[in-house]
Amino acid sequence: MSVRNPSDFRKEIDLRQDRRQWLKTSATLLGASVLPMPAESTEAAPQPQSTPKAPPRHAHETRSLARFFTPDQHALVDELTETIIPEDSHSGGAKAARVTDFIDKTLRETQDEDQKRTWKEGLPLIDSMSHHYNGKSFLDASPEERVAVLTVLSENERMAGLPEVKFFKDLKHLTVIGYYTSKVGIHDDLQYKGNRVLQEYVGCDDPAAAKT
Amino acid sequence: MPEPEVDLSKTYDAVVIGSGAAGGMAAHVLTGKGLKVLLLEAGKKLPIEQELRSMEWPYDNANRGFLPPDSHSLNFNEYTIRRPPYGPGFEKSKHLHSYIGSGDYTKNIVVDERENPYTGTNYAWVRARCLGGKTNIWGRLALRLSDYDFKAKDRDGYGENWPISYSDLAPYYDKVDLYLGITGVKENLDYLPDSIFQRPTKLNCAEVTLKQGIQKMGRVLTQYRAGVTSDGLKHNKYRSRCYGRGACSRKGGCDIHAAFDSPTGLIYPAMDTGNLTLRPNSTVRELTVDPTTGKATGVHFIDSQTMKDYHVKARVVIVAASTLESARLLLLSKSRQHPNGLGNSSGHVGHNFCEHVMGPGITGRAKDLVGKPPTLDDGRPGGFYLTRFRNLKEKHPKFIRGYGFEGGSGSTMFPRGTDAPGFGAAFKEEVRKNHGAYVEMGGFGEVLARYENHVDLDPVVKDKWGIPALRFHYKFGDNERRMCEDMKETAKEMFEAAGFEILHVNDRMLTEGWSIHELGTARMGNDRKTSVLNQFEQSHDVKNLFVVDGSAFVNASCQNPTWTIMALCWRSCDYLVDEMKKGNL
Repeated sequence: MSVRNPSDFRKEIDLRQDRRQWLKTSATLLGASVLPMPAESTEAAPQPQSTPKAPPRHAHETRSLARFFTPDQHALVDELTETIIPEDSHSGGAKAARVTDFIDKTLRETQDEDQKRTWKEGLPLIDSMSHHYNGKSFLDASPEERVAVLTVLSENERMAGLPEVKFFKDLKHLTVIGYYTSKVGIHDDLQYKGNRVLQEYVGCDDPAAAKT
Repeated sequence: MPEPEVDLSKTYDAVVIGSGAAGGMAAHVLTGKGLKVLLLEAGKKLPIEQELRSMEWPYDNANRGFLPPDSHSLNFNEYTIRRPPYGPGFEKSKHLHSYIGSGDYTKNIVVDERENPYTGTNYAWVRARCLGGKTNIWGRLALRLSDYDFKAKDRDGYGENWPISYSDLAPYYDKVDLYLGITGVKENLDYLPDSIFQRPTKLNCAEVTLKQGIQKMGRVLTQYRAGVTSDGLKHNKYRSRCYGRGACSRKGGCDIHAAFDSPTGLIYPAMDTGNLTLRPNSTVRELTVDPTTGKATGVHFIDSQTMKDYHVKARVVIVAASTLESARLLLLSKSRQHPNGLGNSSGHVGHNFCEHVMGPGITGRAKDLVGKPPTLDDGRPGGFYLTRFRNLKEKHPKFIRGYGFEGGSGSTMFPRGTDAPGFGAAFKEEVRKNHGAYVEMGGFGEVLARYENHVDLDPVVKDKWGIPALRFHYKFGDNERRMCEDMKETAKEMFEAAGFEILHVNDRMLTEGWSIHELGTARMGNDRKTSVLNQFEQSHDVKNLFVVDGSAFVNASCQNPTWTIMALCWRSCDYLVDEMKKGNL
């Protein structure tokens, strides 16, 4: 399946039609590569059934058994959050800000079972979509191909009842919170000037002068 | 932790119930005049600096500054679709807080809703049971009322006038200004009198643009008049001057106490006189009276933690538990002489309940500022106050009274504009370029004092301490709805006049109670048949009973109430001491 330009999706995609296709095909196409469900409790987390293609991104960390994401899922969420807020010439993106760790902690600790379910269902759906549109998993897809998948969801945000749209909205929400409360977001990206002792608040005496 | 033993065998000159703005002020004035005062606070004395941590970065906080995940704070939707008590349905959460308890810095300051249930109509009731109460986290907007408020009935025929004029209170506003510190700019407005201001903070560029834009409409935007000391207070060793550190806009307080709070501003200095005894963890359940004279004799209170019951005697009882809690306490104190509750021969206790309506507001963008290098915009206690302009000179055809707007502009630690659509590099760049260019403001309008808006005691539901809960019978009316319609329109026309790009106009009214400005449940007046207190906040029925918080207000005006609560309280306590010396109490 050839990669389509994200702008094409806006014209062509009827998400409700399309999803029927990829939901039908995803089971046979994906087989074992559908991501395993994450651990529900703090008991031993199930290990991925297939060998990860790459070592987990943060394999050097002491991984708590209580992590919400499996290593495969962690790698997928890393790429999803980076697609939401990518590194650019100005500053690091969601990966540099360790947004996945923030989301893992949030989901691990939340009492909102609905939110946990949204993520458990959403991650495999994203991979199914990537297979449908790109012919490969989200991790194997190029940045442009990843953008194409999320564009389908972003353009259809009003279909809030669909689990993948619900997932996308929460993914964006948590990525935004995680990023803009991080060192990278506050200092590198926004270059926030406050939260320090000042002798005088500078303010503005003449907006006309400030325009130039 | 058990409370230090308080001598409950002695008769105090005065017992003060509540340690917020009103109770703190009563303690300050009375101990300064040599009275031996016992101050009872239902909540704990928190290690407040450890709670507020004003300069903590979000990434250094386990929950990025948000409420821990085992707790929940009610949101607008939940306040709308549910009915009080709000506890049921949130059993999974370890703690349930009002909407203001949504941050890690306020979670121990506001109460747990389940321990403190109430019933009746929808109401977002924010309560802070701890030393200092809500002054630990207040919005700091410190405004005076004027005769447009005190004599509002003379202007439009509605409701009652206050039994005082601005000239009665002006000297006490001055005292509050000088003792606690306030920053702002003189505007010479008869409807919003100036305070004795310390060094003002400046407006930022978009705010100056708005100020200039609305000048031709005859409207006034002024620097946020904040109850914050910008020059410092030589007489107070517990408070520092404001260092513009920023993060003032997050829900929380000021851990260097540049912003006024009752403990450092009033209570600790009162303790230094040697005349104040403080007992936290003391939930007052009833005011007691002498069975023969009907005068107040003291209070019954429960140790909030050990649940042990105590009684303490006092020559004067001063109720300062907050507007709704004070009304509750009067209604709880039924006796043979006072069958409807203490000081309630008028039947007005709990009635004429009023506040400020919130919700309508606007978000816009100053296009000139888009893409400009980042500036510091929140290193100050507040942005701007756009003063009342309705029903001053001309009568509005659709509603009486007025409203003002609170607002601000520019960069904040967590950026505005992250609700923009899309994702990816373009989204990231848009947030970065625009977040310093946002301007926002929201209205605060007077809710008319109406007899039928009231609270009473729930016949069944009780709080954790076995005390009957408050039941609400309170709704906004047509005047508020029409006023909110107008707020939305004028917000739009003013942003247009300033040349801002309008991004969002909000016309939704927030839940009753959202302003946290509840007032009027034991109003003052000259007629004892239609009011609870006289002009010195003294009960018409019980000479040695004073109610010195927001419940004494006759109307809500549209200005924020804290500074008026404290000025009134100071005036009443001066009177109290004079009367006591004359042997009249």
